[in-house]
Amino acid sequence: MAEFSWEARSPLERALVSEPYGVQGEAGVALTEIRNFDLVQVMARRGKASEMATAAKGHFGVAAPETPKAVRTADATLIWSGPDQFFVLSKGGRQSVKSLVPIFAASASLSDQSHARVLISISGDKARALLAKLSSIDLYPAAFPVGAVAATSMDHTSVTLWRGNDAPGGRAVFNVLVFATFAESLWQTMLDSGAEYGIEIGHSEELA
Amino acid sequence: MRITCPFCGERELGEFTYLGDAKPVRPAPGASQDEVYDYVYLRDNVAGAMEENWYHGGGCRAWLRVTRNTLTHEISSVEPAAGAGARQVVK
Ligand SMILES: [Zn+2]
Repeated sequence: MAEFSWEARSPLERALVSEPYGVQGEAGVALTEIRNFDLVQVMARRGKASEMATAAKGHFGVAAPETPKAVRTADATLIWSGPDQFFVLSKGGRQSVKSLVPIFAASASLSDQSHARVLISISGDKARALLAKLSSIDLYPAAFPVGAVAATSMDHTSVTLWRGNDAPGGRAVFNVLVFATFAESLWQTMLDSGAEYGIEIGHSEELA
Repeated sequence: MRITCPFCGERELGEFTYLGDAKPVRPAPGASQDEVYDYVYLRDNVAGAMEENWYHGGGCRAWLRVTRNTLTHEISSVEPAAGAGARQVVK
């Protein structure tokens, strides 16, 4: 009988090479894969949106987003993913699907997406220039401020895009959640798009 | 052409899929064969404002009811389709 390994691995394990890419010199863009996170999709059952909102507020201490926004809680980020639904993104099992099931038992359906998505963080002076090649979303600072979210498509692939807190020095940080099986394709497209700016590539265990 | 999704805001056409006329209503289970035939096969060929179903599959995955002028592509209204889940709509 075949032996299976159920060890969690990144879908970008092969494609991600932690060395400079594109033009040499100071990199204009940093591409960082964030690994090992918990991601739970919470979707209100029919007619239960108010109950879901109450349960979320009671559990997280802040209201879950009802418009395309990302909201920080003490130990998670709540990211709008569509009408009456949002993601709970956290680290270290603090908001795992197991712990959230009792909270939303009467109001929402949960789906564990921890290993179904890849999380890519894009920052640097040329981050907007790179994303402008892939996305039709207006990422001008005033149009897409910190906490803004878009459920959109990049390179014909559905993604959840949001702007995290600025990095030290005030540089914008954009996060992209993409389906695991599309991640390598989108990653290669990002490398092609950013090559002219020079890319610093890495992976991290820290949520931005 | 762009469609202003009530949940996401203005988006390019590529994020949407067209289903067609939003007017036909599924007949009751006991309906006559003629009524079912009409519902499945017969469509008006509208020249002007038409209500249509569109799916924002490349975005929030909501079904939308779009009023579009078939001659000019002018869109006069976009509403969440019934049951799309519409707790709050972007203003
Ligand atoms: Zn939408």
